[in-house]
Amino acid sequence: MNNQPSASKRMGMAEALRDAMRLAMRADPRVFLIGEDIGVPGGFGGGFTVTLGLADEFGRGRVIDTPISEGAIVGAAVGAAMVGMRPVAEMQYGDFVFCAMDQVVNQAAKMHYMSNGQTRVPMVLRLPVGASERGAQHGQSTEALFMHTPGLKVVCPATPYDAKGLLLAAIRDDNPVVFLEHKLLYGGKGTRRESASISIGTDVPAGDYEVALGTVAVRRAGADLTILANMLMVHRALAAAERLEESGMDAEVIDVRSLVPLDIVTIERSIAKTGRLLIVEEDHLTGGWGAEVAALVAERAFHSLRGPIRRVAGLDTPIPCAAALEREYVPSVERIAAAATAIVSAS
Amino acid sequence: MRHPIVVPHLGATGGLVRIVEWRAAVGQPVKAGEVLFLVETDKSTSEVEAFRDGILHEILHAVGSECAPGDVVAFLADAVSADAVSPAPVEPSVLPQLPAARVRIRPVREKVAPAPAPVATAPGAPLALTKDGLLAAFATMVLIRRYEEHLYHLFLQGLVPGTLHQCQGQEAVAVGVCSALRRDDLIYSTHRPVGHLIAKGASLDAITAEIWGKATGCAGGKGGQMHLADLAVGAMVSNAIVGANIPIATGSAMGFRLQDLDRVVVSFFGDGASNIGAFHEGLNLAAVQRAPVVFVCENNLYAASTHVSTAMLIGDVADRAAAYGMPGVVADGMDVEAVNRVAAVAVARARAGEGPTLIECKTYRYRGHSRGDPGGYRAEEERLRWLERDPIVRLRRRLEGDLGVAAERLAAIEDKAQTRIEAAVAFARESSEPPPASAREHVFATEARGQ
Repeated sequence: MNNQPSASKRMGMAEALRDAMRLAMRADPRVFLIGEDIGVPGGFGGGFTVTLGLADEFGRGRVIDTPISEGAIVGAAVGAAMVGMRPVAEMQYGDFVFCAMDQVVNQAAKMHYMSNGQTRVPMVLRLPVGASERGAQHGQSTEALFMHTPGLKVVCPATPYDAKGLLLAAIRDDNPVVFLEHKLLYGGKGTRRESASISIGTDVPAGDYEVALGTVAVRRAGADLTILANMLMVHRALAAAERLEESGMDAEVIDVRSLVPLDIVTIERSIAKTGRLLIVEEDHLTGGWGAEVAALVAERAFHSLRGPIRRVAGLDTPIPCAAALEREYVPSVERIAAAATAIVSAS
Repeated sequence: MRHPIVVPHLGATGGLVRIVEWRAAVGQPVKAGEVLFLVETDKSTSEVEAFRDGILHEILHAVGSECAPGDVVAFLADAVSADAVSPAPVEPSVLPQLPAARVRIRPVREKVAPAPAPVATAPGAPLALTKDGLLAAFATMVLIRRYEEHLYHLFLQGLVPGTLHQCQGQEAVAVGVCSALRRDDLIYSTHRPVGHLIAKGASLDAITAEIWGKATGCAGGKGGQMHLADLAVGAMVSNAIVGANIPIATGSAMGFRLQDLDRVVVSFFGDGASNIGAFHEGLNLAAVQRAPVVFVCENNLYAASTHVSTAMLIGDVADRAAAYGMPGVVADGMDVEAVNRVAAVAVARARAGEGPTLIECKTYRYRGHSRGDPGGYRAEEERLRWLERDPIVRLRRRLEGDLGVAAERLAAIEDKAQTRIEAAVAFARESSEPPPASAREHVFATEARGQ
């Protein structure tokens, strides 16, 4: 055991997010948490332990447990934000945000605009997303819907380091930020650990730092093909890239950790180098974020492309529950590698 | 066939109501809509009307009886000729419980607000309007009425752009509530915001220019008639999604409490909003959080064109408060003093940290739901009946009759209102269009973050 004071600590995403909220709440009395089952003594710290222990430090006045009222959770966050607070609202599952869509789309996203800039809504809406053998109503990835709504920022980390830094930046942003967290990336321990979760514990700095919203991260540099992915799909794309390397293909993997704002310039630069683009997303294919990015690339970087853009995405079906069916729904390393191979061999 | 007459749910906190008068005698024919009897709760006295034509066949509870909501108090018989074949009499026990909404309720007067623990008078919010307060209320109500009528006539001439949702008839609610507030208290209004905004002291020029879509408008033309605001006086952006401001107001109230401030938030909404999920979620959250918020339901009987009786089977929206464990109070929304009294109690209660109150103001909108709605779904007789209870006429009588205010003084107030309105409209019409590029501004807050 290392007894030396350490500037960083190995942690999973749940712990990293908790760390971010702890630091934000210590630094700023305006920050508070609101959601279901997030602070109950003897409870579980939200659906995925992210807020575990925070009520002990900050009290249940700042870690507010609500009735099962998603509309009121988001609405209350909007109202509190407009009087100078910085709420972090949690949906127990991202799918439940549909119960609160008026508050997200008509209220949070539009108040700054409708008031001509007189009010602002600095709030974070945390959404646990991603298929995890729970079926159609507990596994959707909903980033595209929010991307389509002007006034919302949309952030979707793939690593514990980014999760902490992006959440700290999101809490301090003056706009409503929809913050998607993939359930299989949380980590967690014991019975709270997701059975299919992947281990991505990384060293996360103990202190306060921010990852700027609106940036992408090049996770793997390569010359032959650009693969864009977010959240869990970043890890699958990286695994696919390893396989592709064995067959002599050199893929560049970019983690699109922020969809709004979107760093299209870095994406364009990558395509200028590789000439080929594959987009990997867990959300449904039709109208997904990949469709928007593909359109942007077609408009802005068409002449850099040596062949058609391809997308590997979730099926256009509700998400099935059984593992065997869910594997069919969610893009696999094999599907990603096959699509990449097809692109490279065709051009 | 006999039809039971049932005691409606009237929001009595103790549950029981007392029959105070029978207006019809046994054997007497009655028409649908005719008042049958009067009941008294701890809050108000209400008239209960017959829901159909018939003959009052039997009275089960005489004057002075205490009954519970749902009790059968009398039977109406069909007015048929004696030799017609009539169905076998049906015993009360096997009769389906008639919904209370079959009985139309009109509150006669607001009596006593349910008295929570006594609270200190909040500074700046007197518990009763003084003569000066009533004069100020008169001035504001006249300003609202004349403003709305002025815009209505301009609209008919095609001179008002966009849409209009007007509040003529509802002035006593806006003014009665806002005169119980401090300047730093907040209001959240609706798609029908003008009365609330004016009552809270918003700039008439800025809201008028906003309605005209001008650069000088309170939202630079981005908001429009349904999204008016004046943050300097605590009028937040009014909300055109029915019921949506209810959880938002709750959140602002929670925010004030987290900041250790004693500011109070008011959410205005209509009877229609009390049927949307946000009402339930918002009131319940406010109740369990004991948030310093006052919910003011303006029951003007119509959600757009749909009569309240087809949208809910209870007579009083205020009854719903009981489901959330908060006081529910019915006030006569045509009486600014009555509204102010209950609002002052609710505001003081909220400010003292004792939690939210639901106030239902029975009122009426004289004009249609929005522009181009002539209100063909309402009987002219109904409108005329409400006009007889006009809140401004009533207040004028009170000022001139009880308080000895000279008619000339009131006329001067009216003239001043008219001058202000004309100046505001001139300001709006003369102002510039917003620069087209401003449509792209304020999607995101971009200035440096900070306190």
